[in-house]
Amino acid sequence: MMLIAGTIPIKDLPLIMGKVSEEGKYLVVDGYHIPCTQGTGAMIGAALVSNNYLKLKAPQVLIAGDTGRGTGSREIYEYLIQRVAELSPQVLALHYCLPDMALTRRLCGAIKGCSKKPVLIADAASMYAAKASGLAPEFDIFTPDATEMAFLADPDATHPAYINRHLFDTDITQVPRLAAAAYQNKSAANLLLVKGAIDYIVHDSDIVATITEPDVPALEAIGGTGDTITGLVSAFAYAGLKLHEAAIIAARANRMAGKFAQATPATKVRQIIDQFPAVFKEHLCQWSGVCFMEGENYNG
Amino acid sequence: MPFLRRKQKTSFEGGGLVLFRDVQDAIRTEKVLKDAGYAVRLIAPPPELRKGCDLAVEINLVEQPSIERLLNQKDVAYVSIGPLKVGTSELLQIVKVTDFGRWVMVTAGNMKLTFDKDNGVIVNTSGGGCPDIPYLHAELLGKQLTEAPPPRDIGFTLCALMLGRALEECLTLQQGDSQP
Repeated sequence: MMLIAGTIPIKDLPLIMGKVSEEGKYLVVDGYHIPCTQGTGAMIGAALVSNNYLKLKAPQVLIAGDTGRGTGSREIYEYLIQRVAELSPQVLALHYCLPDMALTRRLCGAIKGCSKKPVLIADAASMYAAKASGLAPEFDIFTPDATEMAFLADPDATHPAYINRHLFDTDITQVPRLAAAAYQNKSAANLLLVKGAIDYIVHDSDIVATITEPDVPALEAIGGTGDTITGLVSAFAYAGLKLHEAAIIAARANRMAGKFAQATPATKVRQIIDQFPAVFKEHLCQWSGVCFMEGENYNG
Repeated sequence: MPFLRRKQKTSFEGGGLVLFRDVQDAIRTEKVLKDAGYAVRLIAPPPELRKGCDLAVEINLVEQPSIERLLNQKDVAYVSIGPLKVGTSELLQIVKVTDFGRWVMVTAGNMKLTFDKDNGVIVNTSGGGCPDIPYLHAELLGKQLTEAPPPRDIGFTLCALMLGRALEECLTLQQGDSQP
């Protein structure tokens, strides 16, 4: 099972766990319609499109309404703490939530009860909480942007609003230095996919790959294009690719979708997600060796 | 014989601290915040941070903006709110501006806000990771900079605070452009 957990900006949405599907411009979970916009919605949307293309099972999602007070976030944490061992997902991707260090600590403890350790992916505030609680090394993949990379490199910061200003001033070319600092502080996951003008794939301080093409600077302005990368890497990890390969393909596919969409800073993330099937059809076989005819399962 | 089960003690690690001059203010703050549903606890502040009294309230640092707003509404006296960890940097004040031609993107901390120079309409917000950010994204998109609800008024977290900083800078840029 691939499980995505995160909050949705609908105040009264209850805690829901179920398989996600698509209906027009909405995602549907247990009869509830969820917008495919910045945040967990965009991540789920990208993962769903990818799993559909690869003929994999649709992601299971654990979502709850939360507009900032943290109630839905805490419901998600508590549900996972109680149930994650029983669910034992192959991939667990944690996303938007109110960061809570104590609950993150309990969750990481509960994950140890899984029959097999899931591929553990964190983005957004789940990544902030993992770093702030000193648990980053227990995660397999973080997907920070350049500012969040500076946050991971700052040993004292518990949120990117409180990073050292000299680290904030650094540009994307300084990522190797920041990543080395983050690994030294034990503030990095096993693999980092750093999103920016240059995408870096970093494993234990080593730069495994950099991706710069196609160059679509507008993607940085479009809300949700970081979330789509996390959805893509989650899907390709679930497909069984090695994690660094999954990260490289995710970064390439996101850029290519931006190119296909002729993205401007005013483009919406749904327009990017809509391009993924065409991107996969044209490039995935060449990028990954994942080649199959329509109607055939990825796993043969 | 069944094992005796201890009730699990609720743990809390907030990473933020409200400091006071007076013990009574600390006790009142704890009650105000607990009544409003915030997870908090009374602690002794580290000696390096002590400002007056030897009692402080630990909060979830991420919730700093909404807690400040509530304490001001309730007229509770406090000295400061900030990180508990000694050595943490100051709250980021600087911003970066990226010109995309027709559009301008302002980055404040981990948040970005982009508007159309021609009409002052917000076309995108990006970055961040707290649960109020997707909500603010929906609230701000398509609105004029001058008519957008300030994230500091309707958001709750440090991500919202940074988005508010970006909005303020966008307003300054736009006003600068519109002046003769």
